[in-house]
Amino acid sequence: MDFPENLPSSSSDMGRLEQIVSHFFPKALHIVLDSRIPSLQSRGRTRDRNLKKSDKWFNLIMGDRPAALDKLHSWHRNILDSMIIDIILIHPSHHDHAETVMERWVVQYENPLIMSPQSSDPCTRYQKVYKKAIILLRSLYAQTRLLPAYRVSRQLSSSLASSGFEMVYKVSSFSPPVTETMTEFRFSPVEVPPGRLCASVTYRSDLSGFNLGAHITLPPRIITDYVGSPATDPMRFFPSPGQSFEATSSFHGRAGRGPPPSPSERPHSWTSGFHRPPTPNQSFSPQFSPDFHCSRTEHQLSPPFSPSGSPRGSNSPRINLRPGTAPVTIPSSATFNRYVSSNFSEPTRNPLPPFSPKSTRRSPSSQDSLPGIALYKSSRSGESPSGLINHYPAHKLTKESKYDSGRFSGLLSSSGSPRFGFSRSPSRLSSDLEDPDCSCPFDFDDVDESSAGLQYSQSLDRRKTSSSISQSLPIGRKSQDAAVGVLVQMLKTAPPLRQDSSTYMASSMSGVQRQGSSVSGTESEFSMARTTSDALEELRNYKQLKDLLLSKSKSVGGATRVH
Amino acid sequence: MNCEVCQLKELEVESFEIREVLRCILHTIVFHRALGLIRPKDIDLELFEITYVQCGEIEVEKKIDETIEHFISWIEKHPNKRSPICVSFYEVKSKQPSWFNNKQRSYWEQWYVNLNVLHQTKSPSHHSKLVMDTGEASEERSSRRTLLEQSLQEVLFQIIKFVNEKKDHVPPINDGVIYCPFEITMPSSSDSTFGMDIFKRMLHSGGHPSMLS
Repeated sequence: MDFPENLPSSSSDMGRLEQIVSHFFPKALHIVLDSRIPSLQSRGRTRDRNLKKSDKWFNLIMGDRPAALDKLHSWHRNILDSMIIDIILIHPSHHDHAETVMERWVVQYENPLIMSPQSSDPCTRYQKVYKKAIILLRSLYAQTRLLPAYRVSRQLSSSLASSGFEMVYKVSSFSPPVTETMTEFRFSPVEVPPGRLCASVTYRSDLSGFNLGAHITLPPRIITDYVGSPATDPMRFFPSPGQSFEATSSFHGRAGRGPPPSPSERPHSWTSGFHRPPTPNQSFSPQFSPDFHCSRTEHQLSPPFSPSGSPRGSNSPRINLRPGTAPVTIPSSATFNRYVSSNFSEPTRNPLPPFSPKSTRRSPSSQDSLPGIALYKSSRSGESPSGLINHYPAHKLTKESKYDSGRFSGLLSSSGSPRFGFSRSPSRLSSDLEDPDCSCPFDFDDVDESSAGLQYSQSLDRRKTSSSISQSLPIGRKSQDAAVGVLVQMLKTAPPLRQDSSTYMASSMSGVQRQGSSVSGTESEFSMARTTSDALEELRNYKQLKDLLLSKSKSVGGATRVH
Repeated sequence: MNCEVCQLKELEVESFEIREVLRCILHTIVFHRALGLIRPKDIDLELFEITYVQCGEIEVEKKIDETIEHFISWIEKHPNKRSPICVSFYEVKSKQPSWFNNKQRSYWEQWYVNLNVLHQTKSPSHHSKLVMDTGEASEERSSRRTLLEQSLQEVLFQIIKFVNEKKDHVPPINDGVIYCPFEITMPSSSDSTFGMDIFKRMLHSGGHPSMLS
């Protein structure tokens, strides 16, 4: 039997068995999420000869695993921890949205206290175990297609976002039991000495209550409507099961867990995905990684986990190149390991000391600032053609990153990906109750990628960048507030670059001002007052540049319309 | 190694539904027995809100399609007969000589797909297809369709359950083998040859006592 890992023949049977278990979890995760979350579906169908080893596991080619899944799984280092995958449907309910767990998939390696007697020949044991694990995953794969949630997720991915429905996921190692009546199906466990691999799914078989069939596909709405609409409150908090972080290492496909939900804590630029033009992937230029599909539902997912470092490795450049509105943060698994191991027992510790040695404590309210950071970055990079404006934040932020919050510089580094801010926010909420000052995982490692990110972000669809602005608010430390204040001023005073985007910007900025969140509103006002002088200086610079450009354009016959 | 047998729940289908239902069931069975490196393919049924998985191998698809065509032509000739379709997985053991050939098939699993094909002459609801549809007839048909969809889902669940519960009898996967060798048999054109097929199979298998159970 083709075992994906070419282990030397002398390697132990136990080593192979352990590999089977450790590879089982990500494969199961991939199968489940691939079938439920369109944004995580593999797009690239690699030819068989180019198959990665990871794809050959269990003889089931799923296509390239999106980096999000790799990172998602990297927290699961202890194979004795359960992996609980919740598939949650967000649906309109009264005047708001409600979340219902549609399915709960549980994969677990149960380790008995007593070693089971090793009766079979060790050389063939792992082959038998592997064969049975393959069969188990086959049946899990078929089951994902049979359960009602599959049809629902297909409906949601094909229809447009304004139905008010979205499907998100949450992966954790511990979750309180669901209260609704659900049907359970247990896959037969596979004995993998010294324990056994178990999988089960608990699902809602009756979906008639959600009125899914009735929703009509509406054309996408532009962000301006979204911002002003109370029905699509971007600051909604995704309630989590209320266990403390110590009890679980978990991460969410949405906003995180922890403190009682407050209206200001939802990192929701994800919902904006709903209201973007349909098939967001269409607006992405083909230079992006073909195997990562940013669809609407992806925007519903905040990257599943706590900040744990920049996306190092082969995945990082790809991640940075993704459209800025895709809310995926991909901390590297190595850094996340550190995070997980260090943070279990000491939640107050800075989870990522190696990555942000200079980060300062951030205020609790600054948890909301991540969206603001994203807002800031994307608007700058996407909106302004002016080199000055683009460089200004880069330089300023680079300087600040040395002494400022890791978060902010993290924003810079994730220049093409304001989602980094988003993604971190929920995970921080989830994991850093006592330690809100989680260092930014990206600043340390991603600064060098900022230039690439900047170039990238300029190619972003303006609507997208504008839309991300509308969802988040500038909150946070002084430097970030200063920058945002500057931005606000500039945007307010600058004439529109383009007719449509200016509408966007004006309304989104006003929407930002109008946002209901008390925390963010207060802070933005506060920040603007504090940084008026900075803003004025910036304005002066801008005016100078404008004059310069105008004079140049006149000299070339005024062919270029400069704003 | 014993031969495990699974009798799938009987389904009442109309003749135009045979193809989809059979494809769905047969592919699902083979998918769980295609333990080599495969790239699964999701297929949506047109008549039902069901998605099933194919193993993606062209030979399998051909084999299944041929079987279905044979079955349909057989059903047309024998409208009132129920005929199970048997999917048998076997191992080829070439070392033990037997009367008929050197290669001996050892069957280790069998699935019986039981379809009850409703013919137009049988039930009044089918008559109504030829004439103007009355409201009642179409209602009856849609409720029957819904029932069939539920039953088909139950059959697929049944396959998954069986595959999960019994894993020990599955022979080891050889390198390079994509799917466990199988054959699909059904009654041939007459009852007598059907019996002969069973007999032949019994001889080939080398006398598995549980073969016919």
